[in-house]
Amino acid sequence: MGTLKFVGTRLAGAVLVLFLVALSTYAVFYLVPADPAIQACGRPCTDQNLALAREFMGYGDPWWRQFLDFAGGLFTGRVFGSGPTAIRCEAPCFGYSFAQNTEVLALIGERLPVTASLAVGAAVLWLVTGVGAGVVAALRRGTAWDRVALASSVAGVSAPVYLVGLLGILLFGFTLDVVPVGGYVPFTTSPVDWAWRLALPWAVLAFSHAAVYTRLTRAQMLDTLGEDYIRTARAKGLTETEVVGKHALRNVLLPVVTVFGVDLGTLLGGAVITERVFGLPGLGGLLIEAVGQRDLPLLLGCTLFAAFLVVTANVVVDLCYGALDPRARLA
Amino acid sequence: MTRSRLAVAAALAGALAVTACGANEQPQGGGQATATRGGTLRVLTEGQTVNFDPAKSGSLAVTSLALVHRRLTAWHNKPGEQAGVVPDLADVGKTDDGGRTWTFTLQEGVKFSDGTPITSADVKWGVERSFSPAFSGGLGYHKQLLEGGADYRGPFEGAELKGVETPDSRTVRFRLVRPYGDWPWVVSTPAFAPVPRGKGAEPDYAEHPVASGPYQLAKYQKGVEAKLTRNPHWDQKTDQVRAGLPDEVVFQLGQDASVVSQRLTADSGDDKSAFGASFVSAAQLAQLSGNPSAKQRVVTSKSGALAYLALNTEKAPLDNPKVREAFQYAVDKTSFQIASAGTAQLAGDVATTLITEGITGRKKFDLFPTPPAGDPEKAKRLLAEAGFPDGLPTLDFLVTKTNNAPEKAQALQASLARAGIKTTIRTLDGDAYTEETSVSPTAEFDLTLASWQPDFPSANANIQPLFASSEIGGGGYNLSRYRNPEVDRLIDAAQATVDPAEAGAKWAAIDELVLRDSPVVPLIYTRNSFLHGSKVAGLFIADFPAYPNYLQVGLTP
Repeated sequence: MGTLKFVGTRLAGAVLVLFLVALSTYAVFYLVPADPAIQACGRPCTDQNLALAREFMGYGDPWWRQFLDFAGGLFTGRVFGSGPTAIRCEAPCFGYSFAQNTEVLALIGERLPVTASLAVGAAVLWLVTGVGAGVVAALRRGTAWDRVALASSVAGVSAPVYLVGLLGILLFGFTLDVVPVGGYVPFTTSPVDWAWRLALPWAVLAFSHAAVYTRLTRAQMLDTLGEDYIRTARAKGLTETEVVGKHALRNVLLPVVTVFGVDLGTLLGGAVITERVFGLPGLGGLLIEAVGQRDLPLLLGCTLFAAFLVVTANVVVDLCYGALDPRARLA
Repeated sequence: MTRSRLAVAAALAGALAVTACGANEQPQGGGQATATRGGTLRVLTEGQTVNFDPAKSGSLAVTSLALVHRRLTAWHNKPGEQAGVVPDLADVGKTDDGGRTWTFTLQEGVKFSDGTPITSADVKWGVERSFSPAFSGGLGYHKQLLEGGADYRGPFEGAELKGVETPDSRTVRFRLVRPYGDWPWVVSTPAFAPVPRGKGAEPDYAEHPVASGPYQLAKYQKGVEAKLTRNPHWDQKTDQVRAGLPDEVVFQLGQDASVVSQRLTADSGDDKSAFGASFVSAAQLAQLSGNPSAKQRVVTSKSGALAYLALNTEKAPLDNPKVREAFQYAVDKTSFQIASAGTAQLAGDVATTLITEGITGRKKFDLFPTPPAGDPEKAKRLLAEAGFPDGLPTLDFLVTKTNNAPEKAQALQASLARAGIKTTIRTLDGDAYTEETSVSPTAEFDLTLASWQPDFPSANANIQPLFASSEIGGGGYNLSRYRNPEVDRLIDAAQATVDPAEAGAKWAAIDELVLRDSPVVPLIYTRNSFLHGSKVAGLFIADFPAYPNYLQVGLTP
């Protein structure tokens, strides 16, 4: 019963957060002195054309009214314009992008597999290398291993992804010519090509992210190894592998899981820079396009979706705590 | 080309041009051999989308959209020659009442990609469709000119546009609300591409348009690519502006500009048959200068968009023409060139007139002769004569945050300070900037930086959008908020002139008249450079516009 209540409260909280994100996106967009209809006005832009464009796209109403229309569309769908050129967006309608002539949900659906491929692959890579390097660095504290791990993590934290991406392309793509420099092939078309084309983006993203995990794991591991229960475990005669793998690592992973959940959630919402550098048609590109074209429905869709992922990641992390740490379990 | 066409400040002012030769030479890709028929041409594009709906397009007549859609007329587009109207689907038009009624005759034998003949009804339908609020956003110079256009809302509910008549299947007659000499240019804009009568009601027509040009859209994947294949019903004999050389043209979308530059520099595999649709930036050009092979594959425009400093003529003390004249002498155009692109050579020539290169009627003059670095002493004298012996109160200098604009503004700020003109630079994001300078009915700024390239090669398109009083606020581009009844009257008269040479002379006179009032300080004609792979042949940039001609480009075997 306790667990159910816990999950219920968390889910209700998540829905409330999403509602507030949507509301504030609308409000912010309308506080900024910019007219979203200007892109559809054409050139020369006359007052009359501007008014027509505004009316067609539903930007003529006050922002709170537009927000209510948006919220209503989730349940009842929406229709823009009238007659043979009317645009229908079936429920649940997350908005319609006039710039891209498509429902926002469909656009996100098209792009999600690309971003998910990029994010999940990179996450596996950085989790394994980052945590691995952190453990090794902690166990071999003060040795060359430790110094190499720390030095590369400083490089990873400080180098911007854009730079690392370009250098990666220059070195591995052009100079050594061992990997393709961009583009995306769906997993369903060819799993080998899919992985081959994503190899460099994965490595670049992982390089930047792993750094944090290395430092976190190392510090946490050093702390943990000094704890009484580790001494007890060693005193019981357990092998070093058992002590580290079973007893210490489990404790170390608690903060790692917290950071990882949020990182992955954020990344799934769009790895803007990495996608751009490698020409990957993911959610990040969609977001850039939405901002550039003042495409409010798409911007709102991308923002909400990103918020949804972060919120979900947090809920999942909370639930994982229980699995990892018996102290966090509900009675 | 949606981004490149929008010329105010942000969109065009950015990346400039270079080569290592003299300012007036124009290297047209020294490495290019003769193009042959066949192959797949790739166009590397920054944008996530490319729009093939003529009603919603602002594409120039020589770039992407024109590969798929023909219009009534086209542009004569050759380096070293002035732009002119040439026939496309129809002849160049006739008027027998001084430019109020225009009649165009379609060529015989022109067909859509589905094999049906293109008739006058399809042209009329395409024009009518552009009035539908569902398909707005393209070039709309015709909307205020066609009879009945003011309240027309498109053909989909049965209404016809009075101003377009189709006496027979090959004749289209346009009735305008006033005489308009540039109408043959207006019918070269995207809305004058035919759409099969009754079709195109769906919002995603852009993704499966019925083609009239040498190519049809075979595959369109948002954010990934647009693939054009041959239109079997296009007949080369009927088309004098499109060569239709490659078998396929693939637009690769969402490409990062730096990566594009690297790929084209490396020139390997498919990239040999590719060119970049975006300007090569000054930084990239500097990199290329060390690479002889890549340098040869840079194509640079001879001239380009007019970059200018706009003075808000509605606000004191800039409402005083004498004060504004002082700016003509105070500004250091050399420092602007350096801030733009590192060198004068890379940035583009100093501008002293409003009408850009390659356009009929352009007359070179300099009303305020100074060395390019300016004459601050003369500026001070003018300010003293205007009643400001101790300089001006601090002015608000508004620019966008993008495209190097703050750095350029700083260069001008320093040069103005020499003449006792103090300025505070204020930066805004693109949207907020457009809102204040172009949309809002009032404007707080005193000075702003902008850039303009005409939508069609007539001096009319240079001058009217920037200086007619009807273009102040409401989305118009008269950023100086310049209002001169005499100029308005002369603009109307020049627009009503049918003979291009006569009209050109009138526009040149207006150019001079406007500049006498100094609502703007012309700075430079901004050069653009583009990079292509080693198999690309025939990629050139004519005097106008400062963009490559996509219609003649091909590949070597």
